[in-house]
Amino acid sequence: MPALSVNAALGNAGLLVMLVASTVGAFATAMAIAGGNRRAIRQGPTFAWVILAGAVLAVVMMQRALFTRDFSIDFIQQVGSTTTPWLYNLAAMWSALEGSILLWVIVLAGFTAAVARRFRDRSDDELVGWALVVMYVVCAFFALVSFGPASPFARGEAVPLDFVGPGPNPLLQNHILVMFHPPILYLGYVGFTVPFAFAIAALITGRVGEGWLLETRRWALFSWGFLTIGILLGAWWSYEVLGWSGVWAWDPVENASLLPWLTGTAYIHSVLVQQRRGMLRVWNLSLLVATFSLTILGTFITRSGIVNSVHAFAAGEVDGYLIGFFALVVLVSLGLIGWRGDRLRSPGQIDSPVSREGAFLANNVVFAVFAFIVLLGTVFPLLVEVIQDRQTVVGAPYFDRLSMPIGLVLLFLMAVAPVLPWRKASTELLRDRLFWPAWCGAAALAIAVLTGADGWAPLVAFALGGFAAGAAGRQIALATRRQGWRGLVGRANGGMFVHLGVILIAVALAASNSYTHSATLVLEQGEEVSWAGHTFELVEVVDELDERVDVARANVLVDRTKIYGPAVTTYLLQGMVVPTPSVRTGFAKDVYLTIDGNSPPPAGSTEVTLRVFVKPLILWMWVGGAIMAIGTVLSAVPSARHRRPTDATSAPLAEVGRVG
Amino acid sequence: MSNSRLLNRRLKSWPGWVLLVLVVVGFGVVGATRDRGPLDPGDRIDELSRRVACPVCDGESVYESRNPASEAIRAAIREAVSQGTANDDAILAAIAEAYGGRVLLVPRATGFDALVWALPVTAGVIGIVALVFAFRRWRIEAGLAGVANDEDYQIVAAERERLGDAGGD
Repeated sequence: MPALSVNAALGNAGLLVMLVASTVGAFATAMAIAGGNRRAIRQGPTFAWVILAGAVLAVVMMQRALFTRDFSIDFIQQVGSTTTPWLYNLAAMWSALEGSILLWVIVLAGFTAAVARRFRDRSDDELVGWALVVMYVVCAFFALVSFGPASPFARGEAVPLDFVGPGPNPLLQNHILVMFHPPILYLGYVGFTVPFAFAIAALITGRVGEGWLLETRRWALFSWGFLTIGILLGAWWSYEVLGWSGVWAWDPVENASLLPWLTGTAYIHSVLVQQRRGMLRVWNLSLLVATFSLTILGTFITRSGIVNSVHAFAAGEVDGYLIGFFALVVLVSLGLIGWRGDRLRSPGQIDSPVSREGAFLANNVVFAVFAFIVLLGTVFPLLVEVIQDRQTVVGAPYFDRLSMPIGLVLLFLMAVAPVLPWRKASTELLRDRLFWPAWCGAAALAIAVLTGADGWAPLVAFALGGFAAGAAGRQIALATRRQGWRGLVGRANGGMFVHLGVILIAVALAASNSYTHSATLVLEQGEEVSWAGHTFELVEVVDELDERVDVARANVLVDRTKIYGPAVTTYLLQGMVVPTPSVRTGFAKDVYLTIDGNSPPPAGSTEVTLRVFVKPLILWMWVGGAIMAIGTVLSAVPSARHRRPTDATSAPLAEVGRVG
Repeated sequence: MSNSRLLNRRLKSWPGWVLLVLVVVGFGVVGATRDRGPLDPGDRIDELSRRVACPVCDGESVYESRNPASEAIRAAIREAVSQGTANDDAILAAIAEAYGGRVLLVPRATGFDALVWALPVTAGVIGIVALVFAFRRWRIEAGLAGVANDEDYQIVAAERERLGDAGGD
């Protein structure tokens, strides 16, 4: 067995520093708060910087190990290779279980330090102190997992001097998105730790009013934004790389990322009711607890090997830790909510279902049911195996069938909710405010029918999409007329941009799911084949070989205008074959070419079999994602709206006592 | 009141809504009942292969997978479609017979598997009933607390309208 390298020694030291600092930080800060020692409480944030230093040291050593191909480390033997290009070598850190936990560790340490810095002027505030304690506990858990069962620096078996290493899974060295999708997704997952920590701190201190919500509003918003972008980048990656032309397969690991997104989306809507009316305190806390605990459950699902998934890492020893931590989070959170039950009872009533808050409640019920369906469908095969000792699968058609009506209801709510006033809406007001948005819906329906769309489900989706876009556009138009450019920013107006992005994605999904056509075409060199209004001609099959990969590319002339080159790449070290599609992107439709079968066509071949997909409107999915990201940023910018005496005001809240 | 506001108000009266309903119903009926013609064989093969799991892969359907086992199933589906097998269920049943029931991605609606369909419906019903009860309770509480009534809201709504409020928060 090789000696422990400098990389491993310093990397382990970094993780140990993080583990010790977070454990001591949690205890010391909690004891200082309990003992009322203000001076000691003010020292609390210092631990965050030590934690960050430890995590940075571990990551730097991991990257150094990857770049120096330190094969004395077991993890580098799994994912390192002398032939991997530097970019993919950098991303190799999160291509297997241990490194992905390390990515979690560094992102978490970064958020913890950011909280310490953001609240440095209020470090003796008990709410901030307890929030840091919670963050330190979470840091301690992940440092423990990374230092123990999922150590990325564990010593490997001796390898020959000429050992080249396998490198990451070929699918993870096939597209630039491997650099961005996992880290951005993790920024979303881990970011929800901050509002969760403040929620727990609010429960501990008894300050369960709206203060903690305001403190963490932007943290929740940005975490949600990163999670959204991360999920969409995953969809884009799937589309560009996997060769089946789909963006979402309802794979258990995809579902694991969708679950916290659903509860997080419900939270960022229902939190508005609490901020405005002081209501739904228990519900909002429960949604935050659900969001955070679902990220842990999702990590468990991904890393325990209990589900069959193209994403799942090899089964590790971390499953017991993760499920134990999940149970701890749920039990402690529920216990605290039960303990503070008396303070969480909020005064006031929601007067009418036909009101802004009524729409938010309906939205929350729909999102909760959606999350339940996704969770049920994901774990149902496990239940069947445990209870009936047989194997079953729950796949995309199940989720498609159940998510379609839910998506339509959500589009309807997006159409109606923005025009509803708080408290109560009269029929006259609805008739006035819904008129032009409803005509936008009718226009969308008419355009869809006139351009050849059919089938009731996609038509309803297009009509509701137009309706919702009209409502969002109305809000933005009126706000900008009143406030100029400031009408583009703020919670309500930025939220409307997010809605517009969601609507584009919904319409693109409805169109591509309903109207995608595919065919298997056998192309012979020099002969043009026509299909679905397009022409395809094989120009040549070329072979590009280097020390790492053998790429067989079929150059195909599409519509006599441009050559596209779908390929099959054979990764020589792993012996794995990965298809790479080639896509002609258009505003109305994409033409998606991929080489059929699982073996590359021989170089110089005069014939190739292609699977060709014509997918309408898919480009708008990515445009919608970009608009969602912009809308999230706009939402975070404060609007300068001044309240008028006639604006509805919150119901008066009973003053709740503060601890300490 | 300016001419444009007057026109806007007139458009939003009941004839405008009636016209809207007629447009929606007209286009909706035309679009939803339009004859699409026979399903393209390629589309039918795709549709069926989406409902079958690759028997040896990790969570991929035959539609997505490039594994030889999936290629074989896709070929079997293509064969059945080209032979003119009319019934999709018959094709899927034949595949399930050959590869075992666990390759079907849509759970059955019988026995224990029916729970995966029944529970979401139950959850939806519980959610709706909970909302109905919550609003009923709030209405009773509001009546006891003597909070603003409809007339009060109409006064506020009229004032907001006069000031041109968009309804944003």
